Amino acid sequence: MDPLSTLNEVLAGAPSDIETAATLDDLDRVESSLLGRASDVGGIRRAMGSIDEGLRPRVGARLNEVTGAIQELLAIRRHHIETVEEAARFGEEAIDVTLGAVSFPRGSLHLIQQTIDEVVDIFVGLGYQMAAGPEAELAWYNFDALNTPPTHPARAESDTMYLDWGRAEDEVVLRTQTSPVQARWMETHQPPVYVVVPGRCYRTDTVDATHLPVFHQIEGLAVDTNIVFSDLKGTLLHFAHEFFSPSTTVRLRPHFFPFTEPSAELDVSCSACDGNDPGCRVCGGDGFLEMLGCGMVDPNVFEAVGYDPGQVTGFAFGMGVERLAMVRHGIDSIKHFVDNDRRFLEQF
Amino acid sequence: MRVPLRWLEEMIDLPTGDVEELGYVFDMLGHKVEGVERFEIDWSDVYVGRVVDVAAHPDADRIRVCQVDTGSGAEQIICGAWNFENGAMVAVARPGAVLPGGFEIRQRTIRGVFSNGMICSEKELGLGDDHEGILVLDGSPEVGAPFSDLLELPDVVFDLEITPNRPDVMSILGIARDLAAHYDIGFRAPDPGLVAGGGATAVRVEVEDPAGCRRFTLREITGVNLGRSPLWMRHRLAKVGLRPISNVVDVTNYVMFELGHPLHAFDADSVVGDRLVVRRAGTGETLVTLDHVERNLEPDDLIIYDDAGPTSMSGTMGGARSEVSGSTNRVLMEAASWDPPTIMFMSRRHDLRSEASTRFERGVDPGLADLANQRASALVAALAGGEVLSGSVDVVTTPITPLEVDLSGEQVERVLGPGFDDDLVASLLSRLGMRVEGRRPMRVTVPTYRPDVSRAVDLIEEVARIHGYDRFDATVPRGPIGGLTSSQKRLRRLVATLAGAGLDQAINLPFVGLDDLNRLGLRPAEGDLLTVRNPLREEESRLRPSLLPGLLNTARYNLSHGADSVAFFETGSVFHTEPAEWDHRLPDQPERLAWVVQGDVGIRLLDSGTRVADASTSLALWDLVADSLGIETRLTAATTPGFHPARTARVVIERQGIGHVGELSPLAARAFELPGRVAIAEIDLALLLEPVPPKMGRNLSLFPHVDFDLSFRVDADLPAADLVEVTSRAVGDLLERSRVFDEFRDPSLGEGKKALAIRYRLRAPDRTLTADEIGVIRDEMISAAISVGGELRGA
Repeated sequence: MDPLSTLNEVLAGAPSDIETAATLDDLDRVESSLLGRASDVGGIRRAMGSIDEGLRPRVGARLNEVTGAIQELLAIRRHHIETVEEAARFGEEAIDVTLGAVSFPRGSLHLIQQTIDEVVDIFVGLGYQMAAGPEAELAWYNFDALNTPPTHPARAESDTMYLDWGRAEDEVVLRTQTSPVQARWMETHQPPVYVVVPGRCYRTDTVDATHLPVFHQIEGLAVDTNIVFSDLKGTLLHFAHEFFSPSTTVRLRPHFFPFTEPSAELDVSCSACDGNDPGCRVCGGDGFLEMLGCGMVDPNVFEAVGYDPGQVTGFAFGMGVERLAMVRHGIDSIKHFVDNDRRFLEQF
Repeated sequence: MRVPLRWLEEMIDLPTGDVEELGYVFDMLGHKVEGVERFEIDWSDVYVGRVVDVAAHPDADRIRVCQVDTGSGAEQIICGAWNFENGAMVAVARPGAVLPGGFEIRQRTIRGVFSNGMICSEKELGLGDDHEGILVLDGSPEVGAPFSDLLELPDVVFDLEITPNRPDVMSILGIARDLAAHYDIGFRAPDPGLVAGGGATAVRVEVEDPAGCRRFTLREITGVNLGRSPLWMRHRLAKVGLRPISNVVDVTNYVMFELGHPLHAFDADSVVGDRLVVRRAGTGETLVTLDHVERNLEPDDLIIYDDAGPTSMSGTMGGARSEVSGSTNRVLMEAASWDPPTIMFMSRRHDLRSEASTRFERGVDPGLADLANQRASALVAALAGGEVLSGSVDVVTTPITPLEVDLSGEQVERVLGPGFDDDLVASLLSRLGMRVEGRRPMRVTVPTYRPDVSRAVDLIEEVARIHGYDRFDATVPRGPIGGLTSSQKRLRRLVATLAGAGLDQAINLPFVGLDDLNRLGLRPAEGDLLTVRNPLREEESRLRPSLLPGLLNTARYNLSHGADSVAFFETGSVFHTEPAEWDHRLPDQPERLAWVVQGDVGIRLLDSGTRVADASTSLALWDLVADSLGIETRLTAATTPGFHPARTARVVIERQGIGHVGELSPLAARAFELPGRVAIAEIDLALLLEPVPPKMGRNLSLFPHVDFDLSFRVDADLPAADLVEVTSRAVGDLLERSRVFDEFRDPSLGEGKKALAIRYRLRAPDRTLTADEIGVIRDEMISAAISVGGELRGA
């Protein structure tokens, strides 16, 4: 048979040969039977030198065409077999994605810590620094520096834990508030002062759903040459928007604290019910929640720390961290915060 | 403070009766509404009647047949009560009435006699518990009038939280005054209506302690008959939360709530001698108070004496000896002004908190004493009969003059912002009953009922309050240099690292029990622990010297509540009795870090854990922490109480020991009921949080590395770190990393020996290392190992 006819015949038969290959191994065999040294095509390639010169260019061109066409068919088939084989292998490798065969341990920061960090960050964003101070504190800083005279009821033993330590004139208490840190800060820093103080506080309270003898507070203090009451209101409104919800509304109610004048309590609208649920488990249907105490710093406090009340004004606020967390996360008992039960902690 | 709206409306014409609106006004005046109670009783078909005939029942001994005029002729009503006679004024429920509790009145026949309604008791009317007979009405109500006309119903009682600086609003009058200022309207103070007769009281008052008693007023009322107070007064007292007692006592309570000044009534005939003396108690004196408790008086107690001794505790509770009683004929009415701290400490000492002491310890207006006394005396005379003697006592030890305070609009604007000129300030303060004279500055005369106002800033608060806190803008000032300090950021990184490693953060109460310290083997001596002088509970009396007892209890708690493994860390203060370095007046209270890990750690597989915690867990955690914080520390074997003596390392940073990492001692583990091995650590935070210089980056070499392993036979007690260190030092800068990958102990190595296999990776920044170079270095490493007793194995 002449080479051209052979090539045409091979090309004509190639598709069905290639089609029969089911695996890559089959295909390799088909490839060598079509194009290998021992194949008809291989024979013609090797015999090219002995082909009649007049015929040689035509045979050469046809040889290349046929080889190229078969290689293309092989490549298509190869791709097809690979896809099918892989799909079959994937089937065997299938896992149950819902099984959770491996789990990374995830520790949790205590909700108190998370709450403190969030509140601090809100105020850091307003240009505040964070300060800390001792929990066992001089009564002077806890009370006297904060305009709380020795006859004030808060100083009574029924409210404050006193320590068996130190000299009588330097009485040491477990601080009842984080405010003494403000006094210490002002003693060592000149205005302007923008500072937040998170920390642990102590009161001789009996334990119930909302009281613990040990709890956490965050105090804030801003002292500058031109701080006015509206600044207090705006700052706390900003805080409420960031911490609770952008739609939270606040109201300041007149109140009394020894270290601020005017003093106020801040109520925030209930983000659980927006005041629309008379049986709301967060606000009790009130629509508002008492959130924190605040006010304009009393001039006596400035005098106690060596600031001139004629030169500066300021505001201060103090909030209970447990209360913030309870309201925000719908927690019904403060005792969860001291039990350190993993089941509680790992929810947050 | 409970405020019945109808009583309040007697003193002020409020522009609204809307409960929600008024509640908001109370809130915005600083008197937070804690509750609202509605008093509403359906008394339709209950009328005032007059009993016009009482006859025996023909067929029953215990009930009577009454004819009662209810305005439209007499009705026959059977009644079982005997506390009234013909002519009594009574409340009659006619058929169809439904009394509180759903009790429906019908016409009925009782033992053959027809009864057309019911004569009601207080209990049946829903007015109280009294059902000892029917309600006999006092005064002369109109026959046939609806019964509901006699009482202030329906009514709303606001329960207000009164801040301790505002004793002046602990009365209906004070509330009316504040509301009047808010609405800028008038109010009506009650007229004492005193009509005094001839004569004067024979009792003198001697105040020997003028600091404790600023004013003492006394009036005598003769010919008094003790009895029940009228229904209207009992009803008002019930609404404010007081139990009616007798007309004389009820009057003192009534006036206290009406005007805000507490009073005390003595039975004049029980007062021995003709003088009352006010002074501090003598030693060993006792007084039986009205509650029949014998009180041991203390030297700071302020007491009223008669010639027979103590007879009343000032401003707190009267004495039983001079209590008014059924036989009382003459009453001495006392209204005195007591020193607030004296009353506060006395009432606390004796655990005697009363409506009176609560007011006195906050400061009752001394200017009000005689007016309150007049009002109470007049009411006693009106309700209990008798005559008020015109000659009364009024001892004033310190003149009562209103305070004058200077204030300017500029001062107000410095605190409240722009817009508060003198005229606005003056008008706001005037609404509060303050006299404002002059401008720049204004001279403000503060009424004596406002003890909380003595400085300009106190007036500024009043300006803000009456202007309305809700009318201020909201502006946000910003600080110049915000941010966390380096230490604060490092602490955040530390806790995040531990949480990332799978540990939960615990926050324990910082108290400790002696038992727990003993369990840990700390056994502190008396005086080693910082203690609370006045603990409420024993378990809150000692401050922790270590974080571990709390964490170990946390672990036990969780294991006993179903956890199969635990991993907790905590940061916080511990407390020592040595003085703090930075302030010698305070006890040392350093911050620490501790952890407790028990059971499975790390990545969990389906068939439960991979590795169970032990000392090496702590060591790994420590590496993680130190690496995360970028600090170089050394670990050396150490022993310390509570820790396993052979599986614990001391953490050294810059030659200073800062704590321990390792394992809980088996003894302590048993004592805390923790199974298996427990990884623990406790480390001082201060040095960990100190800022470190920024880490310097190393440029990556483009040349290949060379890895090789060396295995040495060394003394069993040679710390691996020492061998790694000397051999690494021998390599010098070419060392990229080194790691022990095997520790092998076997008798074949010889007595007291072990083998350590270490893998080293070397790389040069500028060339490919040659075999010759490596050979030289390797020889130097082997010699270095010999210097610590190491011997190359397989050589």
